[in-house]
Amino acid sequence: MKLYQIVLKDILRRKRRVLYAALGVVIGTMTVVGVLTIAFAGENSVYKQLEKYGANLTIVPAVNSIDAKLGSLSLGTLAVGENYIQESYLPKIREITDGEIRQARSIYGDGPIATIAPRLYENTDVRGVSVIVAGIQPEDERAIKTWWQVRDGDYLKTDTDAIIGSRTAELLALKVGDLIPLNGATVTVVGILDETGSSEDYQVMVPLATLQKAFNKEGLLSTVDIRALCNACPVDLIATSINQNIPGIKAIAVKQIANTEMDLVKKVNTLMISLAGITLVIGVFGVVNTMMTSVHERTRDIGIMRAVGASRRQIIMAFMYEAFVIGVIGGLIGYGGGTLLAYGIGPLIFEGASISFLPEFIPLSLGVAVAVAAVATLYPAVRATRIKIADAFRSL
Amino acid sequence: MLEIKNASKVYGEGEGRVVALDDVSLQIEKGGFVSITGPSGSGKSTLLNIIGGLERLSAGEIILDGGRIDNLSEDAFVEIRRGKIAYVFQQYHLLQSLTALENVLLPLVFQSRNGHSERALELLKRVGLEKRVHHRPSELSGGEQQRVAIARALVTAPSLILADEPTGNMDRKTGDEIIGLFDELNREGHTIVMVTHNPEIAAHTRETIALQDGRVVQRIQNGGR
Repeated sequence: MKLYQIVLKDILRRKRRVLYAALGVVIGTMTVVGVLTIAFAGENSVYKQLEKYGANLTIVPAVNSIDAKLGSLSLGTLAVGENYIQESYLPKIREITDGEIRQARSIYGDGPIATIAPRLYENTDVRGVSVIVAGIQPEDERAIKTWWQVRDGDYLKTDTDAIIGSRTAELLALKVGDLIPLNGATVTVVGILDETGSSEDYQVMVPLATLQKAFNKEGLLSTVDIRALCNACPVDLIATSINQNIPGIKAIAVKQIANTEMDLVKKVNTLMISLAGITLVIGVFGVVNTMMTSVHERTRDIGIMRAVGASRRQIIMAFMYEAFVIGVIGGLIGYGGGTLLAYGIGPLIFEGASISFLPEFIPLSLGVAVAVAAVATLYPAVRATRIKIADAFRSL
Repeated sequence: MLEIKNASKVYGEGEGRVVALDDVSLQIEKGGFVSITGPSGSGKSTLLNIIGGLERLSAGEIILDGGRIDNLSEDAFVEIRRGKIAYVFQQYHLLQSLTALENVLLPLVFQSRNGHSERALELLKRVGLEKRVHHRPSELSGGEQQRVAIARALVTAPSLILADEPTGNMDRKTGDEIIGLFDELNREGHTIVMVTHNPEIAAHTRETIALQDGRVVQRIQNGGR
């Protein structure tokens, strides 16, 4: 027979008492798990909204506006500079972007990290109407425009495929299978996109190489969209670094709105986590109280064990085993309760946040619960071993 | 083997000061069977508690097997309880959640000595409880519980058994049986010191020490058992 077996037998005899002691632990862990689950869901829902912004960075050709004057006569402004980005800059852009992300997130290795989607814009006439044609890298573009849904037909597959925005299809009465002339070449409409609410609704999208070839613009791009694919990526740093290192282009970070919203969520979460912390501390006092009673009830048993040769350390150990059991029971119930709490309250705090069951909080919950139970038990247990054995027998 | 020199125990201070033991000196030889008697408040239980380290002396010395034990720290006294001294109490003091067998094994648990079930079973048989080994205290009579407590005291093979009113909660017949058991154990070589207020029970021991107001007033050799 081992000490922990004696403790377990005792716990089984006093089930109700032990459950009562676990209640304080349950309240503490329930709050922590509940708040963290809600906080997690809140951040997630904001991240999801952020994804709609698509790219974190947009690169455009650097164009300087200068005032054109003849003597004192103003002739308006003139755009000076290149109207294209050299495609040969792409490896350099990737190098800078991935390099900054690696540094910021301490990622090692050399696979590509960010998604980089180059674009070229040209005009073409379809049935007498001028339409913007965007040349895109089909896979990269899709990775950025996660909300793209092909309504009819398929996504781009071959060099001669084209997909069109919903408004383009409407205004030009185009269907899947129709042909679009491209400066002498021809592409076939293979798919129509669902309405996106952006300018793409009015465009025609073809593979980049096809467009470059048709308009003799090999090696030239109009814009480059970059999605850093992490929510804490240093987009401002990337933009600055690109602007410093590559001449003739201008990188713009497009996450200001996102930042403001994220800050708000973070503040709400900090507040909630502090409240959870306070609840936890109050919970600890509650458990201390219960354990005081629980230890006091067993003053006689402590006396018996010491009279037959238990050391103080062994008595404290016995209570620690009990605290462990209380912690595990309280932690599991607290985890369940916290998740339910999040389901109930989460949507009230973050509108539209979808609360999910987060199994990764189980070890956290158990850890917190066992720690709370152990801390709360230690003081009464140590105090109990200070009682003289003779007094322990007299007390009840 | 046990020597008490000028032992005093004082509770409280000032007006509420109570002298429970007043300069008590006595010796108990190995193999002895000694009863300590006296009216309530005579200090007999205090004397027993002090020998067993359950309470501390105010002044004096206690020497067990040639070594002083009154000045041992609480942690050092643990070793005395693990091998030299064992207790039998009036209230039996068994753990309610454990069976008779487990209660007998309890002292060994704290010494991390596993196994030994056979020894515990043998001791339960010795005290006449071989058919009750898996019963819990609540399922045993008072006499049976005290037998479990005696088996528990024997499991560490102590030099000295201290019994505090071991028959106090029993009817006469059961009490006589328990005293008979102590007598047998004494004949087998165990040294026993027993506190009792009952002169008839005290008469069953080899020697009776009578206390009054914390002083030894009489020592009687009980012959002719």
